Amino acid sequence: MNTIRQEWFSNIRSDLLAGLVVALALIPEAIAFSIIAGVDPKVGLYASFCIAVVIAFTGGRPGMISAATGAMALLMVTLVKDHGLEYLFAATVLTGVLQIIAGWIRLGELMRFVSRSVVTGFVNALAILILMAQLPELIDVPWPVYVMTAAGLGIIYGLPLLTKAVPSPLIAIIILTVISVVVGIDIRTVGDMGDLPTTPPVLLIPNLPLTLETLSIIFPYSLTLMVVGLLESLMTATIVDDLTDTNSDKSRECIGQGVANIASGFMGGMAGCAMIGQSVINIKSGGRGRLSTLSAGVFLLALLMFLGDWVSRIPMAALVAVMIMVSVGTFNWDSIRNLRSHPTSSSMVMVVTVIVTVSTHDLAQGVLSGVLLSGFFFAHKVGRILSISSRSEDEGRIRNYIVLGQVFFASADRFVQSFDFQEVIETVRIDVSRAHFWDITAVSALDKVVMKFRREGTEVEVLGLNEASATMVDRFALHDKDEAADLLLPH
Amino acid sequence: MLKSRKILACVDQSPYADYVADYAAWAARKLVLPLELLHIIDRHQEISASTDHSGAIGVDAQENLLNQLTEEEGTRARQVRDRGRVFLNSLRQRCEVDETLSVDTRQRYGQLLSTLEEQQQDVALYVLGRRGESAAHTRRDLGRHVEMISRQVRRPILTVAGEFIEPRSALIAYDGKRMTRRCVELIAQNPKLNDIPVHVIMSGKRATDADRHLQWAKDTLNTAGFTVETAYAPGDPEQEITRAIGERQADLLVMGAYSRSPLRSLILGSRTNDLLRASQVPTVTIHL
Repeated sequence: MNTIRQEWFSNIRSDLLAGLVVALALIPEAIAFSIIAGVDPKVGLYASFCIAVVIAFTGGRPGMISAATGAMALLMVTLVKDHGLEYLFAATVLTGVLQIIAGWIRLGELMRFVSRSVVTGFVNALAILILMAQLPELIDVPWPVYVMTAAGLGIIYGLPLLTKAVPSPLIAIIILTVISVVVGIDIRTVGDMGDLPTTPPVLLIPNLPLTLETLSIIFPYSLTLMVVGLLESLMTATIVDDLTDTNSDKSRECIGQGVANIASGFMGGMAGCAMIGQSVINIKSGGRGRLSTLSAGVFLLALLMFLGDWVSRIPMAALVAVMIMVSVGTFNWDSIRNLRSHPTSSSMVMVVTVIVTVSTHDLAQGVLSGVLLSGFFFAHKVGRILSISSRSEDEGRIRNYIVLGQVFFASADRFVQSFDFQEVIETVRIDVSRAHFWDITAVSALDKVVMKFRREGTEVEVLGLNEASATMVDRFALHDKDEAADLLLPH
Repeated sequence: MLKSRKILACVDQSPYADYVADYAAWAARKLVLPLELLHIIDRHQEISASTDHSGAIGVDAQENLLNQLTEEEGTRARQVRDRGRVFLNSLRQRCEVDETLSVDTRQRYGQLLSTLEEQQQDVALYVLGRRGESAAHTRRDLGRHVEMISRQVRRPILTVAGEFIEPRSALIAYDGKRMTRRCVELIAQNPKLNDIPVHVIMSGKRATDADRHLQWAKDTLNTAGFTVETAYAPGDPEQEITRAIGERQADLLVMGAYSRSPLRSLILGSRTNDLLRASQVPTVTIHL
């Protein structure tokens, strides 16, 4: 009872106002992302309405805005081009189903392997992709487009200096639309890009054969959509957590995203997820509760119903200006300034994430490369924590090797090379009690060392192998937690 | 009540804070326990005061917003903290008139219910106002507020409805069932209170074994040195107990609380809430 009141009705006035501001910014974005995906603007607008409304109830992060997004739109381009709209709706529903499963098996916990640098790379790549998607509207167009885009940006960033009471992107859109209609400039408008919604969305079952062939077409798309949707949603949830200094339920968010996408797919919408830029706008405008998300969706549809004719006359240049703002606001400019001061490995992870994403237009691949690379760098770093010292005893008959540190796949070679096999000696004693053998590679490296010494006719004694290989156990959780901590302390 | 360690008075910045503090100080002196004045600050993180509806995000939008919100909330938190501290200190001075009493103050972030529950371990008796800044304002919500706390914390709760009058006699609303027998036992376990005469009034449905129940209560309390008067007043407990309070001029009511399950009390209503609403005297509710 209390939480319902707190999440819905504790911030009514600010939530409604913020919802309105967000709805006004969602319209140009939804249209722009539909164009990216190669579908009619109404697909993106229906999706934004459905997702915003459903996630208000099912999401795990109050105050976060979800709708049709650029990251998702980029992934469906080829599906729409090669197979058509019906397949997009089916893929959207399947994405939702996969997200619910992911939430149910707590896949979101894998987010801890996504390092800070990868997140930054993701956000930057997203901003670059949004900007790049605007280029077709800016290349090979009559000169008034450039003037209008520049004027739009001028209003968007200039107006808040005078007043913060009205949404400046909305004013920019209104002024540019009025000018282009009055002056009669012949430039592209939203109406030229395809159908706009004239009715509320209706239930629409994708008209597809329920066969394995259909599944084999949509499944790869749905899988990537699922991954990217959850990645962006969970990252955005963390950002909203930080901004509001409150916690969110990540598993509930995954399931909520799934339910929202299923609803979107059955209402003639495309797949979507949480939006970083819009969520920041919502928080900035005072939105905190679920009501802000719900009202954003409801206002969005209401505005379209009442202003449909006017929306079709909005010049594309005005949308481009808004999207440039979103791109600038999403990009993490600190990361450029930090390129030099941060460790090279972190910067490289960030840059590689950006490059792979931008070149493949697929955030999932970008994040995967980033995660792999950060894992690689980590293994490399930890692999260097290994030192082997030795001294001879018993008048040169015995050599005592003492191994300290981490032995695993990344350091196994260095481990083998640290022994002097050319030494003429009777007995070698290897004390590994203060080392950690993390995997099979480490144990076989030790085997190799033992065999090599034996070939020279040297006796080998290994001390403390049990302690050293205790770390090979896969499930620390089975033991007492303190035991896991003890493992890493010197024995 | 014996094992636990302090009297916890929950105060908010309303006139009731004085009454709550007075009663809490009285209870602390009587039971020879330390007193802690607790001021709970609900930060209302779910509420925002933003007036920026520009909807424009520029370079470093997220970082700037985070810095701005941190700054604003920090300033607000400092103001609330300082105001609360001054308020608590004035209350502490009010209570420290009697030098034998040890008074501590504490401010905590959180919501009333969860904060009270967290403190439960060290608390012998909670004291709170039946109305106030954070207590609900309508009569309908009055009991529910106490009910929610009673169901969560398993400690006696003294709720205060008006100005402090030193209790000269107490009245136990008794029905012979488990919860009210616990009330009697609990009072009997605190012989320090035995200079207050106790009336045990049995009400409710006509019962054949009323005499036996009343005799047990009387014996139990007598053993602990209390002066006891018992009476049997069958009928509607709300009316009978209220009348008995008036007739006997009792100025403290003790009752077992919320013996019905939440579901049953939702359907049938709660006798405890009826009584809390009807009676104007400070009331100890016991739900153990």
